[in-house]
Amino acid sequence: MTARPIKIAVMALGGQGGGVLADWIVKAGERAGYIAQSTSVPGVAQRTGATIYYIELFPNSVAEEKGAAPILALMPAPGDVDIVIAAEMMEAGRALARGFLSKETTLIASTHRVYAIGEKIAMSDGRQDATAIRRAVDAAAGRAIWFDMENAADEAGAVISAVMLGALAGSNAAPIKRENFEEVIRAGKRAVEQNLKAFEIGFAAAKNETSAPPLIAPEQSAPVGAATPAIAGLIARMSKLPASVQSVAREGIKRAVDFQDLRYADLYLDRLEKVVAADMSAGGEARRFDLSKSVAKYLALAMAYDDVIRVADLKTRAGRFERFRADARADDGQIVRVWEYMHPRLEEVGDLLPPALAKSLLSSKSARRMFDAVLGKGRRVATTNLSGFLMLSALSSLRPMRRSGSRYAVEQARIDHWISRIVDEAPKDYALACAIASLQRLIKGYSDTHARGLANYRAIIGVIDLAKAGAAPAETLARLRDAALKDEEGKAFGIELAKIEQTENAA
Amino acid sequence: MAERSFAKEVEHLRIGNGEIFRGEGILAVTKALLQSGVSYVGGYQGAPISHLMDVLSDAQEILGELGVHFEASASEAAAAAMLAASVNYPLRGAVTWKSTVGTNVASDALSQLASSGVTGGTLVIIGEDYGEGSSIMQERSHAFAMKSQMWLLDPRPNLPSIVNAVERGFELSEASKTPVFLELRIRACHVYGSFVAKDNVRPSFGLKDAMENPTREYSRVVLPPSNFVHEVEKVENRWPAAIAFIKKNRLNEFLGGDRGDIGIIVQGGLYNTLNRAMELAGLANAFGETDIPIYCLNVTYPLIDEEVRGFCLDKRAVLLIEEGQPEYIEQAVESILRKADIKTKIVGKDVLPRAGEYTSAMILDGLRKFLSAQAPKMSLKGAAPQPDAGKEIAGAVPQRPAGFCTGCPERPVFSAMKQVEKEIGKFHVSCDIGCHLFSILPPFDIGNTTMGYGLGWAGASAFGAKAKQRTVSMMGDGGFWHNGLTSGVGNAVFNKNDNVLIIVDNGYSAATGGQDILSSRAPNRTKSTNNPIARAVKGVGVDWVEEVHTYDIARMKRVLKDAMTTARKGPKVIIAQAECMLNRQRREKPLRDKAIREGKRVVRARYGVDPDTCTGDHSCIRISGCPSLTIRDNPDPLRDDPVAYVNNDCVGCGVCGENAHSAILCPSFYRAELIYNPSSLDRVFARLRAAVIGFFQRNADKRRAKYAFGDAE
Repeated sequence: MTARPIKIAVMALGGQGGGVLADWIVKAGERAGYIAQSTSVPGVAQRTGATIYYIELFPNSVAEEKGAAPILALMPAPGDVDIVIAAEMMEAGRALARGFLSKETTLIASTHRVYAIGEKIAMSDGRQDATAIRRAVDAAAGRAIWFDMENAADEAGAVISAVMLGALAGSNAAPIKRENFEEVIRAGKRAVEQNLKAFEIGFAAAKNETSAPPLIAPEQSAPVGAATPAIAGLIARMSKLPASVQSVAREGIKRAVDFQDLRYADLYLDRLEKVVAADMSAGGEARRFDLSKSVAKYLALAMAYDDVIRVADLKTRAGRFERFRADARADDGQIVRVWEYMHPRLEEVGDLLPPALAKSLLSSKSARRMFDAVLGKGRRVATTNLSGFLMLSALSSLRPMRRSGSRYAVEQARIDHWISRIVDEAPKDYALACAIASLQRLIKGYSDTHARGLANYRAIIGVIDLAKAGAAPAETLARLRDAALKDEEGKAFGIELAKIEQTENAA
Repeated sequence: MAERSFAKEVEHLRIGNGEIFRGEGILAVTKALLQSGVSYVGGYQGAPISHLMDVLSDAQEILGELGVHFEASASEAAAAAMLAASVNYPLRGAVTWKSTVGTNVASDALSQLASSGVTGGTLVIIGEDYGEGSSIMQERSHAFAMKSQMWLLDPRPNLPSIVNAVERGFELSEASKTPVFLELRIRACHVYGSFVAKDNVRPSFGLKDAMENPTREYSRVVLPPSNFVHEVEKVENRWPAAIAFIKKNRLNEFLGGDRGDIGIIVQGGLYNTLNRAMELAGLANAFGETDIPIYCLNVTYPLIDEEVRGFCLDKRAVLLIEEGQPEYIEQAVESILRKADIKTKIVGKDVLPRAGEYTSAMILDGLRKFLSAQAPKMSLKGAAPQPDAGKEIAGAVPQRPAGFCTGCPERPVFSAMKQVEKEIGKFHVSCDIGCHLFSILPPFDIGNTTMGYGLGWAGASAFGAKAKQRTVSMMGDGGFWHNGLTSGVGNAVFNKNDNVLIIVDNGYSAATGGQDILSSRAPNRTKSTNNPIARAVKGVGVDWVEEVHTYDIARMKRVLKDAMTTARKGPKVIIAQAECMLNRQRREKPLRDKAIREGKRVVRARYGVDPDTCTGDHSCIRISGCPSLTIRDNPDPLRDDPVAYVNNDCVGCGVCGENAHSAILCPSFYRAELIYNPSSLDRVFARLRAAVIGFFQRNADKRRAKYAFGDAE
């Protein structure tokens, strides 16, 4: 059999410069003495979709000797691709799904994720399991070079396509010299310096066969200094908890102090200890105290609810100022101004007032009219201006008043009821108690989102006894919880809820 | 100005005899047109031939030098009608569009033209939008060639063959007085390659000559009795002339070897895919050398009966590779053989998929089945690679449907619509063609039907009943000028429609690559722009017209709600305005970078989300879908769900913040403004603020430090 072309597939997302990369490879190939052909199907896929660019290189010398032009294909064939360059992790998976990876294939892929819309719109965590993809891809490809190309591009201030070109050169998978690649970048005359820098980073990463394991969960912050004397009491109480619960409880205590004060953290521990006691008597040790761990986490979130005081506090912290500067990629010393999108409602004012006052405020039509007239459209608060900062700062200083507010009363009553249900069920049905604990996950967000989550939570709490009448109540609750996180309109939830109510009618 | 500039590439169009031309397939087509002495060119943009229109647009100087007239036609119908210039005069003309949709729009004019017949060669270059990457219904243009009797070229997908098809296509058209289709599949349009160029030719008889020396021939007009004569001419004169030309000039190719008892007939456009399949099976090499005889149809309509008979006569079985359905060629070949009483077995759709684009894997599979039945002794190399691992994880690879770009001004229209639906209940939405059709995909899931370009409002015209809810129709500015002004707006006025139309006025035919249109705001050297849509809409009799800046979501919501609920009867038109962000960034970013470099004070905005107040519900994403509004790990060790996050692609359009405001979502969004080259006043203020804010922040930090756990923060 005579010579065969070198086949290269580029798996890219719209806007990643896949077309530019294909162009560069073609030009570099031509400089290296190859007949080059490239094709693509851009069309609407250009608008954020996934696109494949396909290149074939055939040695000019062989064609000249033959006196004929090679017949080059316009699309990759499964099992017949020499080099696959994937500009994102899941796109490497797509290459595998399309059959492009074989033992003869060199894969050069980025480990970073660009989440697809289906993953982003989930009401909880809709992300696909990248570990499984990575494992399957590694098993299928003859050789795999992975590194974070987005990071590399960022570092160079260039587009990701230049990193990919460098990685291709560094991998030595194509018989094209480094100079040829660099020449085409220079000939492009656009952002040459940045692109060459990105090329260099990509080249080095591929040359060293970087295979950075990116899939390890970030570690929890470990203590670096000593705790202050003020919290010694809390630490002492914490250290009496079962060892496996302590690390979560520690975060919980921190959150309670941060939200309110030491006394509030004691309240947190009072509640947690009740659950731990129930957990122990229910034989929780054998279950690694799953229930207590779960409650330690959700209790902290429930107690540190997001009210106006909390939001104002978080928005004005020095650490937050550093973070938004970093997120906006501000240069050192660059002036950054920040506006918050705030839309306070009358309800939030009511939250801060004592229950009786809050009730009369919320039922007063004139109060609502006045409030809507002033704040109804929402406000943009400039936190980096003195007026905005001082206003938020003043709001956050209302913390001591929080305990007398109506929201505080409502939240504590709900939490106590939740804890008591958990403690009641633990000895009877451990799994059910865990399921009740995890319902807290439904309560999140603000205004409508919060109201929706809370309503779903209440609805599930309301059918616990019905669920107990059926088989596997813990699973029923888990199903209801997951259904509540399926869609915003509550369609899936409605169906699941109806099923339970039907069982009751049937009984 | 279009999305992609070919200003540099078009210079290659000037190269002359013997020089090597390198570039994309459609750029080669342009060069071939110039080498053929074309007098006028027109068309309507749309993938996969958008770049052809862009190339022509960028090449106007060169076209001008050669006396070639170029029009960015108002629609494919307008482009097809343009070919009328070749009926009476020896003028070569070419038009181009996306097919089958464009051919549908053009079909009236094409039928007239095919009936009249042509004097000058006419070429209709169709980008066959079929298979992977396509955005339209999957149909074949083949049927149009058959029903109107136009010839259909389907050349091998390499630049020399494509260029040859253009040149021979004009000659064929003139020899048979018949307009000719040149079909290019998506990948062929975008294929990069090279060919040996010829000099450009200035037409000896130009448009000016025709205008100054008009001639007319009554028999060329489609009206009785000539229309009846035309039909007879078609079968008695034009058809035989075409057959003779195709045969004499060997437009179809006999490739491969001469192994006696089996053979393959293939559409020219699929030849490379076939050869790759044969290479993988060990039946051919990279130069197409094989024992198996191949009859390559570079002309797929009409078939040359004599060639078909000759190829099949000595063969037991022939594999026919024909993409798409119905299998017109297979039926015709069967008919030719049956009439000649030739017993050769034709194997086609029985071993190949009935529908869809043919990949090399599919052809290889069909080839195996064909050979194992018809030539069992022939040995094939190895088994087809079975990518099993791929199948297992296919479900875990997320779908990536096309969507609105970062900062797209159309997104807030649908964010507003979704919010209004929550207030007044769901309504029927009739969609149109354009980027706005992405509304039917997540996260918006808005829209019922799409009936064609510019037909959004007509698509809801049946809903004239007295009802408690009105309907909403969509239309882009591209579709509006294409035909929506008459088929949608005029139709609604005339029929006393009481429903709502939203026209997305982003200044370009954005979905096809950002070409200018009548209402574009940018000045254009060769075209008349700045003709407002509102004036046209009022001009045909709509009284209720509102222009809304799309990023003002609160106002968009108010206006839409008003249109849906007002007691006023009659058609209501909302013109949602804001420039296409792709074009705007292309225009503004270099200017901004330059200003920063020059030391001028520049303020750049972008948006962000505070992870400590974000609770990971993602409501904000569900009413936006902006690519730069994404998710990342929740930094809070206590929370389970990822937080929203605005990545560095943010262009600062502000839709996420406006949404958070109008939907009362959450206080996590912020707008950050970065000041480059600050004024001294900026600096003074910044220092003052930093001093005061720093004081408070240090105090707060000190208070918190009292309760520190000694953790790294």
